[in-house]
Amino acid sequence: MSTPVAEGLFEETADGARLIGSRCSGCGTFYFPQAPGCRNPTCPAPRLERAHLPQHGLLISYTVQRYRPPALFRMDDWAPYAIGLIDLGDGVEVMGMLTGVDLETIAIGTPMRLVIETLYTDTERGPVSTYKFAPEVTA
Amino acid sequence: MRQVYVVGVGAHPWGKWPDKPQLQLALEATGAALADAELGWRDVQALVAASSRFEGGMGWGLHANEVAQAVGEHGMACVNVGGACAAGAIAIQTAYAMIASGRYDVVCAMGAERMPKGFIPRPPGSQDDITDHDYLRWVAMGATNPAYWAIEAQRRMHEHGTTAQTLAAAAVMMRRHAAGNALARFRQPSSIEAVLASPMVADPLHLLEICPVSDGAAAVVLVSEAYAKRLGRTEVRIAGCVAATGQFGDPARRIPTIASTVRAGVDHTSEVATAVARAFAMAGVGPDDVDLLEMADNTAWHLLAWPEIFGFYAPGEGDGMLADGQLTIGGRLPLNPSGGFLSFGEATTAQAVLQVCELAWQLRGQAEGHQVEGAKVAMSAVLGLGANGGSVILTR
Repeated sequence: MSTPVAEGLFEETADGARLIGSRCSGCGTFYFPQAPGCRNPTCPAPRLERAHLPQHGLLISYTVQRYRPPALFRMDDWAPYAIGLIDLGDGVEVMGMLTGVDLETIAIGTPMRLVIETLYTDTERGPVSTYKFAPEVTA
Repeated sequence: MRQVYVVGVGAHPWGKWPDKPQLQLALEATGAALADAELGWRDVQALVAASSRFEGGMGWGLHANEVAQAVGEHGMACVNVGGACAAGAIAIQTAYAMIASGRYDVVCAMGAERMPKGFIPRPPGSQDDITDHDYLRWVAMGATNPAYWAIEAQRRMHEHGTTAQTLAAAAVMMRRHAAGNALARFRQPSSIEAVLASPMVADPLHLLEICPVSDGAAAVVLVSEAYAKRLGRTEVRIAGCVAATGQFGDPARRIPTIASTVRAGVDHTSEVATAVARAFAMAGVGPDDVDLLEMADNTAWHLLAWPEIFGFYAPGEGDGMLADGQLTIGGRLPLNPSGGFLSFGEATTAQAVLQVCELAWQLRGQAEGHQVEGAKVAMSAVLGLGANGGSVILTR
């Protein structure tokens, strides 16, 4: 069992990995992560409830980080990695690390799915995980 | 509302100044602006500071008061405003409003910053939980600021066919402009080959396509119309001056958030687009009237994308405008004749004040070595963390 990088960001469910956000019952808007309030200025009845975001989406852009980020970011066996932007539908676009991709052949438009992977192992907390996006497994 | 004039501008050269405290940078910039205005501190009724994010001797982010206590205790009002990289524009907007309202006649606005080295770190004192996006972006994915801009640049390459050479050419243009500007930090000419040979930081952006951080300071002295007439200094007027925040549904990858709620038909970088549109409306001018634009070129991508977002020309046209020489001095819309952030390096809170200094020098014909001939309408545009946008239009 691993600990998430931040409590309340994502969770493993019977249904697989899920991002935890908010949905406004007044206007249907999704937010990620969980939001303190609905930002839609035309929302008739702002009221947020905890909600899971879709698990599948399309890669709409990406980058490869060639330099190690500042120390707040931890990763065992650091090496350059990709960060992607995934359109999950419902008007939500989420950034996240990509996994299972070749850094030199990432293609915008690739169908992606949400996964949870261990980022590093801490001596006290044990394995610490984050959410990532991986290419859909094609049959 | 009363008319407001710019009668003094001054800046300390941008660079790395490890031996000069921030206060010293501020004193030199404000001193230069006052000398330009031919005024003394005793004439200044209020000082508005774009509060430092990184240094501020008498308390976090406070430094107008430090300046006041160094130059003269005559009861001058001190106002310290936030706004991250747009703080300078918000300081000028505040100073402008203080005069336009009729409350003050002479107000100085300034920004002075000494930047920490490397990637801009997270400020101390924040929450370590999901309520803080600037925590999440680091712990969940280590997304540096260049990663956000790179994701935008990569998308542009996909949508508009922008090439690596075009991005590099935009960076080269900034160095060419800076060659003639004594205040700029990086003035050596560059080349597309040199830019593309510099280290890849975040694909597709190379080191020389991303603005570094610098130390610098800038100041402006604003006065009421009656005061300007008395001084005989009515050459540069503030025609538009706006601070704004973002619009719901903005598709921009806004630092430091990790997700966007996107709605069709909403401007990208809407905090700046809104400030620009309102500045146009306030000044009663449009994109065709602007003789030069000083804009926040945190990367080469910004130089291509921002003028399109603001309606200067259609999305995707920036590449052709650049190739045709329309974005350089002598072209249809000179971008950053100063050399921009890419040639100065960003001294966050001072940057938007420097932009307005540059507009004034251009309108007065004093932009030695990088003058846009006959400039009559000059505009600035800047973005700051927290969805802060600012835009100023000066006319002569």
